[in-house]
Amino acid sequence: MTTVIMRTTARAIVPIILVVAISLFFEGHNLPGGGFIGGVLTVTAFAIIYMAFGLDFLERGILGRDVDPGKGPSRDRVVVAYRRLFAYGFAIAVVSGLVPLLFGQPFLSQTFVILEGIPIYDHLEVASALAFDFGVYCVVVGGLLTILSVVGAE
Amino acid sequence: MSPDLAIVIAAVALPFVAAALTPVFFRVLGEGTGFAGTAVALTSFGLLATQYGREGVVGLPWIPSRNIALQFYVDGWALLFALLACGIGALIFTYSPAYMHGESGLVRYYAALFAFMGSIVGVALAADLIAIFLFWELTSLASFVLIGYYTADDSSQYAARMAMFITVGGGLFLLVGFLLLSVVASDILGTGAAFDLTAMLENSDAMQAALRDRGLFLPVLGLLAIGAGTKSAQVPLHFWLPNAMAAPTPVSAFLHSATMVKVGVYFVGRTRPMLVSAEWLFLFATLGLTTMTVCAILAVASTDIKELLAYSTASHLGLMIAGFGFTSVYGAEAGVFHLLNHALFKAALFLVAGIVAHEAGTREIDELGGLRHDLPITAAITTVVALSMAGIPPFNGFYSKELLFEAAVEASHHHDIGILGWLYPAVAVFGSIFTVLYSLKFLSLFFGNRPDGLGQVHRPPITLLIPPAVLGLLAAFVSVDPQQAVDLIVQSGLEATAVDPHEMHVGIPTSYSPALGMSAVTIGIGLLAYPAYGRLHDGIRAIPSAVPQVGANWWYDTVVDGLSDEGRRFAETVHNGMLRTYATWTLGATCALALAGFVAAGAIEPTALGLEVTVPIALVLLVAVIGGVAVVTSESHIAGVLTLSILGFMVAIFYILASAPDLALTQLVVETLVLLIFLLVIEEIPEYYEVGIGRVARDAVLSVAVGATAFVTVLVTTGARPDGPTEIARGYAEQAVPLGGGTNIVNVTLVDFRGFDTLGELAVVALAAISILTLVAMRGRDEGRIGPRGGDRPDEPAGARSDGEPSGGDDE
Repeated sequence: MTTVIMRTTARAIVPIILVVAISLFFEGHNLPGGGFIGGVLTVTAFAIIYMAFGLDFLERGILGRDVDPGKGPSRDRVVVAYRRLFAYGFAIAVVSGLVPLLFGQPFLSQTFVILEGIPIYDHLEVASALAFDFGVYCVVVGGLLTILSVVGAE
Repeated sequence: MSPDLAIVIAAVALPFVAAALTPVFFRVLGEGTGFAGTAVALTSFGLLATQYGREGVVGLPWIPSRNIALQFYVDGWALLFALLACGIGALIFTYSPAYMHGESGLVRYYAALFAFMGSIVGVALAADLIAIFLFWELTSLASFVLIGYYTADDSSQYAARMAMFITVGGGLFLLVGFLLLSVVASDILGTGAAFDLTAMLENSDAMQAALRDRGLFLPVLGLLAIGAGTKSAQVPLHFWLPNAMAAPTPVSAFLHSATMVKVGVYFVGRTRPMLVSAEWLFLFATLGLTTMTVCAILAVASTDIKELLAYSTASHLGLMIAGFGFTSVYGAEAGVFHLLNHALFKAALFLVAGIVAHEAGTREIDELGGLRHDLPITAAITTVVALSMAGIPPFNGFYSKELLFEAAVEASHHHDIGILGWLYPAVAVFGSIFTVLYSLKFLSLFFGNRPDGLGQVHRPPITLLIPPAVLGLLAAFVSVDPQQAVDLIVQSGLEATAVDPHEMHVGIPTSYSPALGMSAVTIGIGLLAYPAYGRLHDGIRAIPSAVPQVGANWWYDTVVDGLSDEGRRFAETVHNGMLRTYATWTLGATCALALAGFVAAGAIEPTALGLEVTVPIALVLLVAVIGGVAVVTSESHIAGVLTLSILGFMVAIFYILASAPDLALTQLVVETLVLLIFLLVIEEIPEYYEVGIGRVARDAVLSVAVGATAFVTVLVTTGARPDGPTEIARGYAEQAVPLGGGTNIVNVTLVDFRGFDTLGELAVVALAAISILTLVAMRGRDEGRIGPRGGDRPDEPAGARSDGEPSGGDDE
């Protein structure tokens, strides 16, 4: 499916999708969105890259490495990175849940502060749940991309 | 005076601590670990002895939110049992080093023995139902390790499994009984007393009335009887006890005679004041007398001295259960007093059997005889305890058996039981005749002629002799002055188990009574029939070989083997390595369970659809339906996937119209991703399937069932809201901003209120990724060929890749 139309379209839409995904992730606390949806949307962007440019594109084009055809897909550097991503994401989620224990709160308690007087934004709300949500995001992106690239390589 | 919490806890905890420290003991003391065990058991014994004469409840909170406490109740009955466990435990520990000399795995042996003793003391003292259950099952676990001590020996493993299966299984019945009791108790005594056995016993009448009101009396009685009956080896589940003689002899002495098997009897005595009634009499007296008779007959049929003793144990347990079953005060007297007497004589007999087996090298009754010349002290001990077991006056077993006869005669005076009033005494006498017979047989090992085949018999070491001698002396002491034993401990045990306790008196009868006559008949017939022992023995042995169904072992083997065969066949059907089969069974079972649940809960009823369908929604749904039809009728995979996406996107639009933007967003994104993934794997899927009509029918039925279930579920769950959102839903909506600081309720729920759920889902995603990585990696190494057996997959044309599809199929 690596047609010219596909590749041209992908060049245009992938950045847009990624920006939308990140904004979905950040505004999730107050508007539709959140870690899961942001994550899945990010994966969609990568899936489009894979479809348009082939599975080895990231490895070769971005990381500048030759792909060894004899090597199993799970050994690729990108896949290793994906694997790390979901492992770290899971760790972030767990650690963010453990932090409240230090303050004598139950596991996974969340809180938020509203910072006043910020330029441009006037006030900014920072929720501790964002850390947990970031963990969700990482796990979704890492996990789905691992599956996608490993299964896709088959 | 109330007991001292610290002392009680220390007495219970000490054996467990010792169990944990056994490797240390063993490193320091080697085979002398047994003597450390003696010290520990004596310490526990001493600690408990300081509580003598006290009564009351002490406890620690354990799970306060559920009103479960680590609560101990000390009274005469509990102390009697706990002291027996510690006292006999001390003797067993003393006996073990010499007996187990040179065996391997002694650390495991002693650790399990410590845990065993501790859990029995725990059962004796615990007053909280959950704590009792816990200790109760711990005794089963510890006995499993002990019975299976000879791990290389198949029969030992078989016996250990059997004991575990029966006693732990019985324990589960007990647990259900406990839960029913706790429900009733928390209703009438307040939630604080939900698991408090002491509180229930204090309000026995109210509890019994409440149980009857709710129709739970018989279920609770039956469940407790199954629990106690399996533990105490009552017919028809008596067979595990003789099999358990595969354990080393000290364990048998401890397990069979003194303690674990008596836990059931103990518990029957404990709950007796609460549940005693006509049904109680009928159930336990019948059960106990049947067990007593059947096992006494089987004991006569035994060829092995330990087997004889094991059946005799089951028979005596029946005697005690029958004693507690009789509702008169004599019944309780018989139960409590015989518990003490039996522990003294049976533990001694097992230890004697151990000495005989150890020194003569055989346990076959036929090969033994005339041992009094080789083992004079042992012979003296045996004379006391065997005659006690036979119930010959003036030995201690006689007094408690008299009490049983008296209770059996009394039974018809208390309740109108018709013919059973005659049958109970008759059966008691009949069973006791066999008791006399096998007791004399055991005694004959030491008298009569020495068989020629019997080789040199060594003198036993002193540590093997002391424990049975101590027990024999105690038995002799009780025989000489039974009233002293009654005053010391039996009377206080009686007060805990009898409804109307009175001052108990025992002694050599001076005037005629029906019970005395029954004893005379028993002993007379027993002595007269003894010369015919050989013929009786052969006759009884001939029955099970002619009709195997008579033997309980046969039933056990048939049922257990049948279950495992069926299980294997079932697994092969459900779990045959084909994704298609897994999906069929999983979906089918889910639908069946969900629909059955709705039917059982009466949730399926005509529901008014509260949805006002607007024109846009109708249009969207119409397109979705058309898309659905198109999926089924599409010719190629590409068309199918694309039409499926139409369906998915329509659903997403429906969500938007139904004002659920979050859901719609998720649906859209996931739908897109799924479409892409489908397109990725589509090249690998074979172009064309040849599918038989049977499969098509099955798939059609299944898909209709799944659709119907989903439809009904949605109807039921949405229809079950008469006044708008539920309390939970409202709570989330109201608290989202103040507590979570976010106006997106969905996200606040996911990360704040239900964060733990989300964490679990993350684990699922991570696991899915890891498992796919593993699958693919294993395939690369050609280790992953776990798929279909024999490759008979008619679904796929030859040459199609067999593993790629299953691993690619479960990625969303």
